Amino acid sequence: MTPPAVEVSGISKTFRLPHEQRTTIKEHFLHPFSRTTYETQRALDDVSFSVEPGEFFGIIGPNGSGKSTLLKILAGIYRADSGTVQIDGLLSPFIELGVGFNMELNARDNVRVNGTLLGLSRQELDERFDDIIAFSELERFVDQKLKNYSSGMLLRLAYSIAIQVDFEILLLDEVLAVGDQSFQEKCFATFTRLREEGKTIVLVTHQLGVVEEFADRALLLQNGELRALGSPAEVIATYHESIAAVPAP
Amino acid sequence: MSRLRRNLRILHVLAAMDFKLKYSGSALGYVWSVIKPLSLFTMLYIVFAKLFKLGEISAYYPLALLTGIVLYTFFADATTLAMSSIVSRETLVRKMSFPRLIIPTSTTLAAAITFCVNIVVVGVFVAWNQIPPRLNWILIVPLLLQFYVFTLGVSLILATLFVRFRDIGQIWELATQLILYATPVIYPIGFLPPWGRTIAFLSPITQVLQDIRAIVLYPDLASNRITATDAFGSSAGRLIPIGITLAIFALGLVLFKRQEPWFAERV
Repeated sequence: MTPPAVEVSGISKTFRLPHEQRTTIKEHFLHPFSRTTYETQRALDDVSFSVEPGEFFGIIGPNGSGKSTLLKILAGIYRADSGTVQIDGLLSPFIELGVGFNMELNARDNVRVNGTLLGLSRQELDERFDDIIAFSELERFVDQKLKNYSSGMLLRLAYSIAIQVDFEILLLDEVLAVGDQSFQEKCFATFTRLREEGKTIVLVTHQLGVVEEFADRALLLQNGELRALGSPAEVIATYHESIAAVPAP
Repeated sequence: MSRLRRNLRILHVLAAMDFKLKYSGSALGYVWSVIKPLSLFTMLYIVFAKLFKLGEISAYYPLALLTGIVLYTFFADATTLAMSSIVSRETLVRKMSFPRLIIPTSTTLAAAITFCVNIVVVGVFVAWNQIPPRLNWILIVPLLLQFYVFTLGVSLILATLFVRFRDIGQIWELATQLILYATPVIYPIGFLPPWGRTIAFLSPITQVLQDIRAIVLYPDLASNRITATDAFGSSAGRLIPIGITLAIFALGLVLFKRQEPWFAERV
């Protein structure tokens, strides 16, 4: 039996949020006796699940339910207070597209910086540069600074780089929201291709339709707790029930 | 091994981007990296060499001054930029997993590129003064390496502290100005009383600067070529500022590594 691609057991994470963030010494000096008060927020509470190799795994839940925190712990960006994460396979190091994009540089330079950050070598970048630009359909804008790009164009470029990266497990946080219809369809086509190649995908999203259509299994987080885990249809149904159960304010 | 290579590639591309961005959108571009220390040099030269007549003591005063300014400018620029590097690369820190050490290191390396451009200017001055090169000038390489290690160590301490206390920005701005006058950049080291020299040579900046002056400006007055060996009265004394360099670097590394897991949630 192959080990799971991602195995999460008993993860908890608490953030200490100071009521007023004191970052200067003067503030300590002016109010030497007033203690900084903290509010603790339990972002994740004893969450356990595993993702099988080759699985498309969706994570859904309302805003502030801990989805992104969970993904950041999987990626190794945050450290969990307790619990363990075991990853088997080459993990993509990013959770959002376009990390490290610099608005003052043109697309050509940004492909090099972003591609390198995501793990492409110089040779791979040279070989795949044309593919990246062709997939993004931004040939005409390749020497423009990114500050002149629309958010949709940025997404096209970022996504086109990301799919050129070699990984076995891909973690993505809310990626396709600003793409237009034709680009979204192009992305869905790559989802299908990635699945055929046996890649594992963990996707955090609010687009329940995407989860329903592509995910093998889904997980529902609410207030940092795992509420449901199973087939996308069941999990989405639980989500809808929980929304309906909350009286409108 | 492949992980190390990947990290080195990231380091390279980030340092190149830092250097490129520093002058992007400016008409003169890289020329600024030479203009800045040269104009500071010209001003200090007029005030101290001419008005205070320090230039009359030694013909090599301008060259000694320029060497000091170029070293000092690198230290001040690199540490100041590295201090805020983790905070200013916030999105990268919050959205990607990679060794955070790359960030301040790439910033100091970008400053080192500027420093290398300035070294060329110093070289032109040396040729102008018609000082024949000597074989021991090769020792400048390990000295500059030591200087970089010290600068990186200070940068790591500052970058770590800056995530928690933004006051460090104000403190360090003041400190860099004080360091300029506490280091014998403008005045010859011989002007200090012996006890003052002992204190000055605790700083690796003084030690490296004086070592380089002693090596390159060998025809200069003996009192301008005092090194750590002379100030501490024994060749073992040289080990004191070198030891301080290593201690600062080790402290910076340990501090940074200990705080690294929390950077993403605190920036």
